[in-house]
Amino acid sequence: MKKAQGTWGLQWLMRMSPEKQDTLLKMVILTVAAVLSFSTRLFSVLRFESVIHEFDPYFNYRTTRFLAEEGFYNFHNWFDDRAWYPLGRIIGGTIYPGLMVTSAAIYHAMNFFHLTIDVRNVCVFLAPLFSSFTTIVTFYFTKELKDASAGLLAASMLAIVPGYISRSVAGSYDNEGIAIFCMLLTYALWIKSVKTGSIFWGALCALAYFYMVSSWGGYVFLINLIPLHVLMLMITGRFSHRIYVAYSTVYCLGTILSMQISFVGFQPVQSSEHMAALGVFGLCQIHAFVDYLRSKMSKEQFNLLFKSLVLLVGSVVFAAAAIATALGKIAPWTGRFYSLLDPSYAKNNIPIIASVSEHQPTTWSSFYFDLQLLMFLFPVGLYYCFTKLTDANIFIIMYGVTSIYFAGVMVRLMLVLAPVMCVLGGIGMSAVLTTYMKNLDNPMRKEKKSVKKIESNYPLKNEIATCVVCLLTVFLLYYTYHCTWVTSEAYSSPSIVLSARGGDGSRIIFDDFREAYYWLRHNTPEDAKVMSWWDYGYQITAMANRTILVDNNTWNNTHISRVGQAMASSEEKAYEIMRELDVNYVLVIFGGLTGYSSDDINKFLWMVRIGGSTDRGSHIKEWDYYTPQGEFRVDKEGSPVLLNCLMYKMCYYRFGSVYTEGGKPTGYDRVRNTEIGNKDFELDVLEEAYTTEHWLVRIYKVKDLENRGI
Amino acid sequence: MNTRALILLLIQISVSVFGKINQDSIDSNIVIAKVERKIDIATHLVKTSTLITLENKGSSGIRSFLFSLDPSLKDNLSFLSAVTKENKDDKLDVKETNVAGHGDKRFYRITLPTTLDAGKTVTVDVEAVYAHVLKPYPLEITQAKKQLVVLDTNLYFYSPYVTKSQTTVVTTTNSNIESYTKTKPVTQSDNVITYGPFEEKAPFSESQLRVHEENNSPFLTVTSMERVIEVSLWGNIAVEEHIDMKHTGARLKGPFSRFDYQRQQDGYASIKTFKTSLPASARDVYYRDEIGNISTSNMRELDESVDVELRPRFPLFGGWKTRYFLGYNVPSYEYLYYKGDHYALKLRFVDHIYDDMVIDEVQVKIILPEGSKNIELKVPFDVERRGDEIHYTYLDTLGRPVVVLNKHNLVEQHIQDFELHFTFQKHLLLQEPLLVVGVFYFLFLAVIIYVRLDFAITKDEAKESRMRVSSLIDEVQSAHDRRSALYQSYDDAINKFKSSKDVTAFSASRKKIDADYKQLTQQIQNLQTQLKAEGSEAAEKVAQLQRLDTLYKEQIGLAITAAEKLVSGKLNRQQYLDTQAATAAKCDDTYKEMESLRAAL
Repeated sequence: MKKAQGTWGLQWLMRMSPEKQDTLLKMVILTVAAVLSFSTRLFSVLRFESVIHEFDPYFNYRTTRFLAEEGFYNFHNWFDDRAWYPLGRIIGGTIYPGLMVTSAAIYHAMNFFHLTIDVRNVCVFLAPLFSSFTTIVTFYFTKELKDASAGLLAASMLAIVPGYISRSVAGSYDNEGIAIFCMLLTYALWIKSVKTGSIFWGALCALAYFYMVSSWGGYVFLINLIPLHVLMLMITGRFSHRIYVAYSTVYCLGTILSMQISFVGFQPVQSSEHMAALGVFGLCQIHAFVDYLRSKMSKEQFNLLFKSLVLLVGSVVFAAAAIATALGKIAPWTGRFYSLLDPSYAKNNIPIIASVSEHQPTTWSSFYFDLQLLMFLFPVGLYYCFTKLTDANIFIIMYGVTSIYFAGVMVRLMLVLAPVMCVLGGIGMSAVLTTYMKNLDNPMRKEKKSVKKIESNYPLKNEIATCVVCLLTVFLLYYTYHCTWVTSEAYSSPSIVLSARGGDGSRIIFDDFREAYYWLRHNTPEDAKVMSWWDYGYQITAMANRTILVDNNTWNNTHISRVGQAMASSEEKAYEIMRELDVNYVLVIFGGLTGYSSDDINKFLWMVRIGGSTDRGSHIKEWDYYTPQGEFRVDKEGSPVLLNCLMYKMCYYRFGSVYTEGGKPTGYDRVRNTEIGNKDFELDVLEEAYTTEHWLVRIYKVKDLENRGI
Repeated sequence: MNTRALILLLIQISVSVFGKINQDSIDSNIVIAKVERKIDIATHLVKTSTLITLENKGSSGIRSFLFSLDPSLKDNLSFLSAVTKENKDDKLDVKETNVAGHGDKRFYRITLPTTLDAGKTVTVDVEAVYAHVLKPYPLEITQAKKQLVVLDTNLYFYSPYVTKSQTTVVTTTNSNIESYTKTKPVTQSDNVITYGPFEEKAPFSESQLRVHEENNSPFLTVTSMERVIEVSLWGNIAVEEHIDMKHTGARLKGPFSRFDYQRQQDGYASIKTFKTSLPASARDVYYRDEIGNISTSNMRELDESVDVELRPRFPLFGGWKTRYFLGYNVPSYEYLYYKGDHYALKLRFVDHIYDDMVIDEVQVKIILPEGSKNIELKVPFDVERRGDEIHYTYLDTLGRPVVVLNKHNLVEQHIQDFELHFTFQKHLLLQEPLLVVGVFYFLFLAVIIYVRLDFAITKDEAKESRMRVSSLIDEVQSAHDRRSALYQSYDDAINKFKSSKDVTAFSASRKKIDADYKQLTQQIQNLQTQLKAEGSEAAEKVAQLQRLDTLYKEQIGLAITAAEKLVSGKLNRQQYLDTQAATAAKCDDTYKEMESLRAAL
C-alpha cells in the first residue's frame, strides 16, 4: 500500500483503459507541439520588441488597423490616396482580405470580452497562433493519410521546421502566415471527403478553400493540385462515386465561393491558371456518364460509342478553348506563372519579378538549411506511400512531387514544400520506427520461446533494432537543435531594427529606419509626397504616414520605371521627372557608413534595368553604368554616368569628407570596400533634409523652382 | 418676442450679479512705496519676482490689493503666487478679478494675511512665470547659428496704484547681449542689466524695455499631453504620459547636415536629449511611440527620484516636433491611503518632464477601480473637470470610472499633489478572479457534459459493445481482486485456528468467507455470461480464470482439512508442514497465473 501511495499519479494513469491512455498521450504530445510552435516563433519579440517585421507586413498592418477602426464596408470601398501618387490604389479590390478580416475579428472578439489588446499585438502574434493551428491540422491530415503516430511525428516536425518558421515568426504579419493553415486544412478536408465520399466533408473542404482563396494568391497551386489528384485517380482506374461526389462538391462550391473575393472576381472561369480544374470537372462528368453507360451496354456497342464520343468532345473543347483565347476571354498566362514553369523566363523578360530576392531559384544549401533531416526522410516517406497505395496516398505523392519542383523554382515557395516534407517525413520516420521498435526485446514481456524461434533466422535482431532506434533519435535531436538554431539566428530579426556586435561584445542597435520614418511623420507637411525605391513604400505609408509614389505592390510597371529613371538620371533630368511626379522629398537607403549591404546602391542596377525597360526610359542604358570592362564600381574607375546620377549623388553627398575606417582615406565605402570616385560635389536641385544617426537613411527635399531672375 | 426680452433681461441681471461678486475697484488710498522687480530670461521662460512695499495712506484698514499683469505679458501667464516678506511659507490667497473701467487688463486680487492698518506698510513678494514671451529674432536660423531672442516688455511696474520708487533688474542667459533699451539710469555688468530707480510713476505707466540676447537654452514646449493614471487596488498604480513636443525656438532654415552635426558639434539651439525625473519608486519604465520602442534612453536610480535620460529619435531643431509615450508603475501604498472602504489617492497632478518645462495643454485621466463610488476631487489650483468617462479593460463588466481633468499653461510650479477621495467595497476585489474561475468552471463542465452525452443520431454498435465489454471487464477485475483478498482471509482463519484450536469459531468464520466467496464467484460467472453474449474473447479468459480459481479453492480445501487433522492430532507436525508446503507452492503458481490472466483481460 505504501508504494501505491507514492506513485499515485502513475497508478491513476495505469488504471485508465488503454484507449484513454492513448487519447491522453496524443493530446499531451499535440498540445506540447502546438505550444512549442507558438513559442519558438517568439525569439524576435523577446530579443527586440513586439514590432511588425519586414516590408509587406507593414501594409497588412496598416490595412488591418483601417479595417478594425472603420469597419468592413469602408474597408471594402477604400481608395488609398497615400500610395501610388498620383494614381492611388483601390485597396479593397486589390488585396486578399482574409488576413485582415481574421485579425480584425480576433481583435473585436477580444475587445468584446474586454480583453483590451491592441491591433498591433494581434497582428504580431497572429502568425505564431496560426502555426499552432497548423500543427494540429497537420496531425489530422497525416492521421488521415496513415495513422496517429505518423501524425504526431509530422505535427512535431512541422512545429519547428525552419522553412515554415521563416514566414511565420511573431511580427511577420503576412498572408502566408495564415495561408499555410488554410492550405493544410483544405487538404485534410479534401482527403477526408475523398475517403468518405460525403457531401458534408466536401462542403467543409470548399469552405476551407474559400478561406484559403481569401487569404493568399497561392490558392492557384491548390486549385491545380486537387484536379491533378482526381486526374491521377482516373488514370490509375481508381475513379469512384466517392471521388465524383467529393470533387463535384468541392469544385462547384469552391469556385462560386472564391468568386466572392473581389480581387479574384471572374478569374476562376476565365484565366488559364484555373482551366485545369474546370477541365477535370468536365472530365469527371464524362467519366461518370461513361461508367453509367458501360454498366447498361454490351462491350461492342460501348466501344463504338466511346470512341466517337471522345473524338467529338475533344474537338469541341479544343475549339472552345481556342476561340475563348482568341477573343481574350481566357486571360493570357501571367508572368509570375510563366516563371514557375520556366525558371529562366522571368530573368530574361520581366526585371521587376527577377529583382525580388525571394523570386530567385532555390539553392541546394537552402534546401538543407530549411529542411535538414526532412530532405532525407522525404524519399523514405514516399517509399512507404508507394508500398501501400491508396487514394489518399496518391494525393500526398502528387503534392510532394509538384511542390518540390516549385520550391526549386522560387525560394518563396519553400513555404509550400515545408508542410509536405513534414508529412512525408513523419510517415517515413514513423514507419521505420514502428518496424524496428517491434524488434526490440521487451523487458516487460518474457516470451522466451517465441523470441528464440525468430532469432535463428534474424541474427542480432535486438541489437540492430536498438541501433536504428538510437540513430533515429539522434537524428531527431539534431533536427531540433538545427531548427532552433536557424530560427534564432536567421529568421528572427525584424529587419526594421538592425543589431550588431560592438567591439566590446555589447549589442549596438541601429534604429535608423524608424528614426527617419518618424522624422518624416512629424516634420514634413501632411500632404508631402515621398519618392523612394518601391521596397520602402509600405513602410513609409505605415510608419511615416506620408504619400508615396511606388510601393511593394508592384502593379504598375511604368510608374516604378519612372521612379527608376529619376534615380538613374543626372540631376537636371531627374528634376524634370520629380517635378512631373510632384515629389517633395526623396528617400534613399545608404549603407556605406555602417556596412549595411542591402542598400540602394546595391539595388541600383535593378533601378537602371527597370527604368530602362519602358519607352520613356529608353535613354537609360544598362551599359552606361558599367566600366568598359563591364564592372559595376563606384570608385574612380567607375563609369562617369554612374558617378553623376541622382542616386549616387544622394547616397554620397558629403560622404567624401567622412572617415569611416581607420587607415583608410575619407569617403571609404564599407559595403563596396572602395574609396568613392566622386567626392566633392554639391546638389543643385535638392537639399539635405535629414540624415539618420548612422547615415542609413538619407532624406532630401526637392527645391522649389527658383524665382525668375530680374 | 416678449419671452426673448425676458430671457435677455434675466441674463443681464445674472451677469451683473455674478460680475459684482468678482468685481473690485482701485483703492486710491494704497500707494506703493517701493518696487524691486527682477526679470529672469536665462531660460526660455520669463520669471519675474516683484517685491512690492505697500503703504496704506487712507484711514481704514486694507484687507487686499490688486496686482495687474503687464500688457505685454498678460496673455502668457502660467503661474502666479504671492508671499509676504516676513513669512515666506504661507502663500497668500490670489484670485483673478475684474475692475470696472479696465476691461482690457487682467487683475489679480491678493489678500493680505492681516489687515493693513492706516499708515502701515507691508512687503509682498509676487512671483510670476510667463511662457512663450521670448521671441526668437531672427525667426529662422541655419544649423550652425546661435539662437537670439528678444524680450519686449514694460520698463515700469504696471500697477493700478501710484508707485513712488522702483527698480528693474533683468538677468540674461549670458553676457552676449546684442542690444538693450538704454533708458537712463541703466547699468550693465556681465549678464545683469539694472534699470532705475525711477521715481513717482502714475498708475499704468508704460515705456518700452527691449532686450535682445543670445539664448541657447532648450526652447522645448509640450504642446499637448495626456497623463493617464490607472489605480489598481492590487497594489499598483500605472502612469502613462503621452507627450507631444515641439522646439519653439528659432526655426531651422535650410538643410540639416548630419556631417556637420556629428563632426563640428554645432546645432547649439538643438535639443539632443533631456532628463525626466520620475518618482523614486517608479518601476518598469518604458519609452515608446506609435511605431515602437525608442531604443535610446538611459535610466539612473537615485535616492530621491529615478532619472530617465530621454533622447528623441532625432535631434529637435527649431520648429521640429516629436511625440512619445513614457510609462511606469509605482506601488500604490505610497500614494493610496484608505480607512475602511474610504480611499484617498494623493498624487502629482503633473510630474517633471524636463527642467523649466512648459505644458500648453494637459489632460489628466484618473482611472479608478471598477465599482468606485462617491468620487471627490481636491486640487491645488483651478482645473477644468470634464464629465466622467467609463473605461473598459481586462475582465471588466461595468467599466471603470474615469475622472478627466484639463488644464492649460502649466510650468514646474504646478507640480503639486491632488487628492481624490472615493469609496470602494473591498469584496468587489474578488469579482474578477471569481469571474475567471467561473468561466473556466463552466468551460470544463461543458466539456465534461459533452464527452459524457451521446449526440450521435445513429448508433455505432461495435463501439457500444466495446464499451460494454470494457466496463464488464472492469467489474470482473474488481470482483476478482476482492476474491483474491478472500484467499488471504482463508489463510488468516487457518492460522488463527491452528493457534487457538477453536473449532466453532473457525467454522463460523469459514462459513462467512465461504458465503462471500460464493457470491463473488457467482458474480464473475454472471459477468462471464454477459461477456459471452457480447461475443468478446475476454469470456474465454474469464472462464479460464474461473477454472484456475476452482483449482485454488481446492488447494485451500486441502489446507483446511490438513489443518483440521493437525488440530485433531491425526497428523503430526512434520507431515502437516510437508502437505502445507505442497499446497502453498501450488497456490502460489495458480495465483500467479490468475494475476497474469487478470492483467491480460
